[in-house]
Amino acid sequence: MINNEFKNKLFEAAAANDISDIELFFLSSKSDSVSVYKANVENFESSSKSGIGVRGLYNGVMGYYYSEIVEDKDIPNIIDSIKQNAGIIDSSDEEFIFGGSKSYAKVNVYNEELNSYSVDDKISAAIEMEKIALEYDPRIKSVSSSVVASGESEVYISNSKGLELSEKSNYLMAYVELIAEKNGSTKEKGEIWIGNKPSDLDVVKVAKNAADKAISALGGSSVPSGIKNVIMQNEVFAEILGCFASSFYAESVQKGFSLLKGKIGEKIAADIVTISDDPLLEDGRSTTAFDSEGVATYNKTVVENGVLTTYLYNLKSAHKDGVESTGNGFKSSYKGTVNTSATNFYIKGGNVDISTLKKKLNNGLIINDIAGLHSGANVITGDFSLAASGFLVEKGEIIRPVEQITIASNFFELLQNIEEIGNDLYFTSYGMGSPSVLVKDINVSGE
Amino acid sequence: MLSQRTAYNMLDTALATGADFAEIFIENNVKNSVSVVNGKVEKALSGRDFGLGLRLICGDKAIYVYTNDISKDNLIKIASEAAAAVKNNVRCVIKSFDKKDYVNGVGEAVIMPQSVKKKAIADMLKSASSVAFAYDSAITQTQMSYMDSVQDVCIINSEGLWSTDHRIRTRASVSAVASNESEKQTGYFAPGAMSGFELYDKIDLDKLASEAASSAVTMLKTSPCPSGKMDVIMDNGFGGVIFHEACGHGLEVTAVSKNASVFAGKLGEKIASDKVTAIDDGTLHGKWGSINIDDEGTPAKRKVLIENGILKSYMSDRFNGKRINYPLTGSSRRESYRYMPVARMTNTYIAAGNDKPRDIISNTEYGLYAKYMGGGSVNPASGEFNFAVNEAYIVRNGKICEPVRGATLIGKGAEVLLNIDMVGDNLKLAEGMCGASSGSIPVCVGQPMIRVKNMTVGGRG
Repeated sequence: MINNEFKNKLFEAAAANDISDIELFFLSSKSDSVSVYKANVENFESSSKSGIGVRGLYNGVMGYYYSEIVEDKDIPNIIDSIKQNAGIIDSSDEEFIFGGSKSYAKVNVYNEELNSYSVDDKISAAIEMEKIALEYDPRIKSVSSSVVASGESEVYISNSKGLELSEKSNYLMAYVELIAEKNGSTKEKGEIWIGNKPSDLDVVKVAKNAADKAISALGGSSVPSGIKNVIMQNEVFAEILGCFASSFYAESVQKGFSLLKGKIGEKIAADIVTISDDPLLEDGRSTTAFDSEGVATYNKTVVENGVLTTYLYNLKSAHKDGVESTGNGFKSSYKGTVNTSATNFYIKGGNVDISTLKKKLNNGLIINDIAGLHSGANVITGDFSLAASGFLVEKGEIIRPVEQITIASNFFELLQNIEEIGNDLYFTSYGMGSPSVLVKDINVSGE
Repeated sequence: MLSQRTAYNMLDTALATGADFAEIFIENNVKNSVSVVNGKVEKALSGRDFGLGLRLICGDKAIYVYTNDISKDNLIKIASEAAAAVKNNVRCVIKSFDKKDYVNGVGEAVIMPQSVKKKAIADMLKSASSVAFAYDSAITQTQMSYMDSVQDVCIINSEGLWSTDHRIRTRASVSAVASNESEKQTGYFAPGAMSGFELYDKIDLDKLASEAASSAVTMLKTSPCPSGKMDVIMDNGFGGVIFHEACGHGLEVTAVSKNASVFAGKLGEKIASDKVTAIDDGTLHGKWGSINIDDEGTPAKRKVLIENGILKSYMSDRFNGKRINYPLTGSSRRESYRYMPVARMTNTYIAAGNDKPRDIISNTEYGLYAKYMGGGSVNPASGEFNFAVNEAYIVRNGKICEPVRGATLIGKGAEVLLNIDMVGDNLKLAEGMCGASSGSIPVCVGQPMIRVKNMTVGGRG
């Protein structure tokens, strides 16, 4: 926890140096991680770290500084850096140090039980996960990673306007990556699980899921190029949604980096598409009661039956549009400046299961893996062209695995072209969620 | 940053339960960044990363603990926590420290970043922004950014190593977006170096901004790239990202030692066409990916990875290299004290060949000319890679014809290496950030113009 004496000295120094409002953001965390190779612990990692992010208003402009050392003698440097950094900012947008919301939701993000889940428990879980994966099928050649880790962090925000908030959260994570091989065909696949209840961790399931993914992909080949109808599996579409989530941020819209400008109240997706941002979701990966500016968070529908209802706002972008912040002003850590970020951001699940989706697809592809999102997608235009793999579907049945193809489309066209939504809502480890979706007219490049 | 006595006590505590090796990594990293959007300074940030990591190796097991509380009590506490993960009956003897300071070597700063006025940085970025906007009325947005980092590291180990390095790096990026009613296209360059602020006397950001604008405008007026198999000509510079992704990662002992690379067990074998010689060289003066010593304290080296198609060398680190008894190659790197070091690339490139770029183009009946490559990724086990092309043209009857947008190249590294049939004489390096298990680190990629036969090209056309 931060030393109160340091905070008081910092706030006094700010006041004495024409910094009208100042805020201290403190994040401390610790973690333990065990990685197993051939039934032995290969790596054990343990960390305890903390850092401060300080920001202050100087001549009405926000200046930032961060440090991983908290010491009184650094205060003059902190004050000076804030003034220097604020001194060159040109933006005329008004910025705020926030006094606090009326009330904050209670969220359940810290589980005491996890404290008794020891390093030895992690070691046995990781060894078991590796063993199950290796014994699952003779085609599983090796397990390249079997990792079980846990961690906790505490965020504390205090400012000269009287805001004083803290939140503690923890997590448990299991990850396995393995290689399947047959007749010269090699596939490496992984599976990750994150939660915070040790009783929810099912290493058998994690290992089997990874093994099934790798085995089912063996012996794949390409398909002829063409325009095809496709089922984007839940994991894949959640990743794609995450990649383009910034289009929904008012900050991007205001800067001209989003094609959703001027689209509030307009139809931007098929009728069956509803997208929510729910920071209060039970067991959500991005669940939190307040954002990095201290604004209380709440659940909101961003797209309702295809119609765009709101952008996501922080205090600055909200002020610019004359609305209230939606509680989406986040910084990535104590190091960053406040930007906008979605929390648990997801497409609402539909009613049909995957076999009904396949029947409806009839002839086409299931895409269950993509690569290259960080390079092959243009977050502004929505265009993407990605390496992909999955299965060929004929007459509603899976025929064979497919690899070495690319899929190309446009995210905004894709939203319009969603024909059916599955009931298998899935969340990525960073809180993006989607069910499997059936979409038409994807450009597939193969042979 | 640490007294000799504290370091000794820490190593001694760490080794008490029988580890073979203990290593301390201390880092102080002072960073600055400025970002200018549409000609206005939007962000200016400065700060300091500081922390210590302790690594123990015991046989085939590695333990890593890190913290940013370097009080003596806490250091001894984390050392005993690390030791608790080891149970062995030997006692390794700590050798006396041999202090080496690598302050100057592969790159030194004439103008220290901290001495530069923030306003001078802001003005430089604003000027580049004006140039991009002035290039064409289709330019609707610009983003320019700047960063510098002064990283001091000290590596101390139980074998008597006590080495310090002082790494000063700076990088700027220029990006211009061209728009019409329905489309937006981006042009982007990001030069960097192991150097002080004098870098910006040597490179012309305005000129790069103009080139970025030109690339964006060119790509705006294009039709989508056709898809299918065709010959692909990749131009020099950042085109080397193909080698970095499709082959370089597979030559790191992290993957090789676990048989998780298509190149495992292939030393001395032919893995590429005769035309291909590839090198990883951390010693190039002033280059973005250069290092005096790696993050285990081994001096950087020049390694011929592939010579005329024959696999000659892997890139190694102490822990993973030991699994296959591979010698250290000065390749062990990490983003910061928060990561255990592993084998990584430095400046990695395909060496110049004998073909003239104009002959490569005139000898291509039909194909894709990838002028500027984007980023990509690879699965080291299968060698499957993908990457984006930022500026591409169709080649027809030996001539560069119309530009096309949205092209993606996919393939398997092992196959592409064998299908490189022409290698130009115009080698050039380009800067990038490489992400892997030990974090995001500065690297150079590079190549002359090369031609790959029969690659899969993805696009919407």
